[in-house]
Amino acid sequence: MGMPIISKRKVAALALVGSVGLISACGTPAPTLTAPNSSLAGMPGASGSTSMPGMDMPSSSAAASAPAAPVSGTTVAITNFAFSPASLSVKVGTKVTWTNKDGDAHTVTSTGSGGPLNSPAMATNDTFSYTFTTAGTFNYLCTIHPFMTAVVTVTP
Amino acid sequence: MREHIEEQETGPEGMTRRQLMRHAGWFGGAVLLSVVGGEVISSLATDATAASDPNTLKFVQVSDSHIGFTGPANTDVTASFEHALDRVNSLGFRPDFVMHTGDLTHLSTPAQFDQVKQMLSTARTDRVFVVPGEHDSVGDGGKAYRQAFGANTAGDGWYSFDTHGVHFLALVNTLALEKFGHLGNDQLDFVRKDLAGVKSDTPVVVFSHIPLFAMYPQWGWSTDDSLQVINMLRRFSSVTCLNGHVHQLFTKTEGNITFHSATTTAYPLPKPGTAPQPTPQVLPARQLQDALGIRSVTYREGDQLLALKEERLT
Amino acid sequence: MSVLIRLAIVATLAETGFVHAKLYLGGYRVIPYIGPMFLLQAAVSFAVAALLLFAAPVVLRLLAAGAAAGALFGFVLSRTVGVFGFTERGFDPAPDALLSVLAEVLCLLLIGVLWAGELRRRRPAL
Repeated sequence: MGMPIISKRKVAALALVGSVGLISACGTPAPTLTAPNSSLAGMPGASGSTSMPGMDMPSSSAAASAPAAPVSGTTVAITNFAFSPASLSVKVGTKVTWTNKDGDAHTVTSTGSGGPLNSPAMATNDTFSYTFTTAGTFNYLCTIHPFMTAVVTVTP
Repeated sequence: MREHIEEQETGPEGMTRRQLMRHAGWFGGAVLLSVVGGEVISSLATDATAASDPNTLKFVQVSDSHIGFTGPANTDVTASFEHALDRVNSLGFRPDFVMHTGDLTHLSTPAQFDQVKQMLSTARTDRVFVVPGEHDSVGDGGKAYRQAFGANTAGDGWYSFDTHGVHFLALVNTLALEKFGHLGNDQLDFVRKDLAGVKSDTPVVVFSHIPLFAMYPQWGWSTDDSLQVINMLRRFSSVTCLNGHVHQLFTKTEGNITFHSATTTAYPLPKPGTAPQPTPQVLPARQLQDALGIRSVTYREGDQLLALKEERLT
Repeated sequence: MSVLIRLAIVATLAETGFVHAKLYLGGYRVIPYIGPMFLLQAAVSFAVAALLLFAAPVVLRLLAAGAAAGALFGFVLSRTVGVFGFTERGFDPAPDALLSVLAEVLCLLLIGVLWAGELRRRRPAL
């Protein structure tokens, strides 16, 4: 009858605002067990329902294992979770020294079993040295962060 | 019953104010009732978790204390771990056990193991369990770790136990590492034999240091042969995998298995994809305390799943 | 007639709310995101079902449809791409999942029937 009509558009807008307000209010009582960074739940690294855990990544790690041209020298720096240079070439009888410049601990350990490199845990600024007495290719990694790999090629 | 009253028709321009009020009234009533209903239902949940119920299992997971670490990310990890153990002792209940999921020490030295062992003994609980992290077996294949914590374990330090109707497995996936965590055939044999006698409706909890699922393979946050264990666990109605190593909370559920990564008591690491490497993160003091924490887990007999509660060290 | 349909909607809503509440209390409450969503679904379902006992205005019908459709959508997501990392298979847990899905589908159908019936009443000539 003579009642003021409220337009449909106004009603829709009101409903939208009301719903958004409610949803954001609902958002706050988050359960205590969700982490502050719980947005990780959809992270790309954590693959979805079909691919299973533990699958080997075909691609190589971020920095260390890129097959670079061998550099000659006698020192290797461990920095940013990588051995630098990743590929070192020395003559038999050379003493090579590794220095850990990283914030985390690292090791210099031969890959596989029976290799000659087996450093203790190296904290920041620790060094480790080894004199190569035989020729060959010596692959090594850090046992704490095994995606860090490198190689020393010893020539006669 | 009164049906939908055909008041003034909603004309082409819209509805009357009275109609709007009616709609709002029903909506508001629904909201109010929903809130009340929600409160009732969730209070039923917390009611049932009777702290005094002897059939309720309550344990605590701590992880990655890295005793021996020095650096700007945390200049006193020992104090942080003490703080964490204080929290364990002031939870308001006595946990049935405390489990440390690895990286107890930073450099695997006997002195560091002694210190951790002594600190863990201050926890007011009946039993303390541990699994090693890769920082606990540097350069010696885990010998110093096993000397401190290897009693009643097999192989590299794995074992299982049962309590309150739950079956627990403690696995070691931090030795013989090549890019990822690794369990090894001996351990897989152990798990196979161990699970053979467990009924499928028994809840199973698996502890390990490195995640048993592919959380972020680029940083080694994955186990290369865990698929075999996962397959062995598929027949159980409820499996919970609790790990450390990644220094941050993370949860993922796949069918009957839920993986929960715990946070550290030492220093935070970046979230996957937010930094080029898993470098210890330097944060202002209060944010650091927010990132550190422990986890209490409750299991009521008859429940399907375990209830987790994360406690920050702030 | 529409009274019966309305009461049937109440029943289906109550059923889906009951299943979600039961699963929530039975352990789903600890799953991040899923737990609270189950609680929300159960609370809204019960609330709207209770109010629907008295009348079926548009607002309540929309809320009921939302609760049912939302639950169905969540169910489909959890069996396919996952909801915040949470996935399940088939109609696990049985029989709850199947009962809930049936109740939600029925609820939506009934709301449709109710609405169609009203449309027909408003234009009897057509």
